[in-house]
Amino acid sequence: MRQTPITCGTIALVATLMTGAYVCPARAADIVDEWASVKAPPAPQVKPVTADPKTTALLMMDYLPKFYCAEDPRCVATLPAMRKLLAAARAGGVTVIYSIAGNFTPVDIMKDVAPLGGEPTVKAHADKFIDTDLEKILKDKGIQTVIVTGTAANGAVLYTGSGAALRGFKVIVPVDGLSSEDLFAEQLTVWQLANGPGFGKQVTVTRSDMIKF
Amino acid sequence: MPAIQRVFLAAPTMLLAALVSFLALSTEPARAQNIVDQWASVKPPPPPELKPVTVDPKTTALLMLDFVKPSCNPERGSRCVATLPAVKKLLDEARGKDMLVVYSAYGKLTQKDIVPEVAPNGSEPFVVSSVNKYLRTDLEKILKDKGIQTVITVGTFAHGAVLTTAGASAERGFNVIVPIDGMSFDNLYAEQYTAWHLSNAPGIGNKTTLTKIDMMKF
Repeated sequence: MRQTPITCGTIALVATLMTGAYVCPARAADIVDEWASVKAPPAPQVKPVTADPKTTALLMMDYLPKFYCAEDPRCVATLPAMRKLLAAARAGGVTVIYSIAGNFTPVDIMKDVAPLGGEPTVKAHADKFIDTDLEKILKDKGIQTVIVTGTAANGAVLYTGSGAALRGFKVIVPVDGLSSEDLFAEQLTVWQLANGPGFGKQVTVTRSDMIKF
Repeated sequence: MPAIQRVFLAAPTMLLAALVSFLALSTEPARAQNIVDQWASVKPPPPPELKPVTVDPKTTALLMLDFVKPSCNPERGSRCVATLPAVKKLLDEARGKDMLVVYSAYGKLTQKDIVPEVAPNGSEPFVVSSVNKYLRTDLEKILKDKGIQTVITVGTFAHGAVLTTAGASAERGFNVIVPIDGMSFDNLYAEQYTAWHLSNAPGIGNKTTLTKIDMMKF
């Protein structure tokens, strides 16, 4: 039997008969009409996290010249903390993987956080799993957790972070390791990764100095 | 002035300078503030421009994302249900022009779980995946085999299937049309940033057109 859906019209009709009035919560306005009234929810909680060096990989994404990072003050400002995180990861024996985009090659990666010989680099647009062997590299090494850092927040970090979670990896997001020239893009990235349907529960939001190996 | 006096005069000045520089140092973490510190001060950018769009039915597919009963019902919230009349109109137009229509669901849901207002007709492809409908499905092959160059993404959750699959479409080289009155989530912030993100994200914004269903021509 085909179910009759309970529509707002049905509710309105019944309510009107019973009480005399009902305002249907129809979608009078779309999100652009409602734009100015939207309030951001609270920030996700930043939590300390301990990562097992044997099964964790640090993804250093798109620390590249020009608008990618070198010309974006917010990205440049992440570099001291990312240098420290990188040093701690290497000292702990954590797998480090780099990504690049556009027409760049690994030698273009900014020297502050440049790869050492033997650290792999993948090349893709925002989602570093597309048309690369990133998933294979991670699985071959027995990686279960990835730390995602880099730029752009709402490009590489958002799509590679969610892409990792959707592939079954746990994801650690240090909020001081993602950047965009636009604060709104950083904010939506953090909220989306922490709350994304189907993958948010795989994600831990933290700060680089709260990650222990 | 005797040297000893100069030292006495200089001492408080030096002390002050030291204090100032200590304060300056102690209030200067690596990056002055991260996004969580700055959360409350973030202002949403202006809304993206909605543009009229003409659809080529031969090379365009309509992706009907996760219009499933557990996600799109009045108990869960009103916003998805409220999109259904406009989405039905879009679906009728697409079918009227023999466009490719692809449905999706997640988890263990099947075609029978699609809400009846916009149910599949039985011959339309159906893929099941989490929010990225290309992951572990043959969606890309379905689209490419039919010569599709543009996808229209409608559905719920806005920031789930729509944001992720629209972005993944752009990354795979498709043009993307996002009618904002065809996407929904009962959290306005998620709808807002989905709209902004899809029209501004690097590599995605330049392939994406935000519009409304009544601004689309076939």
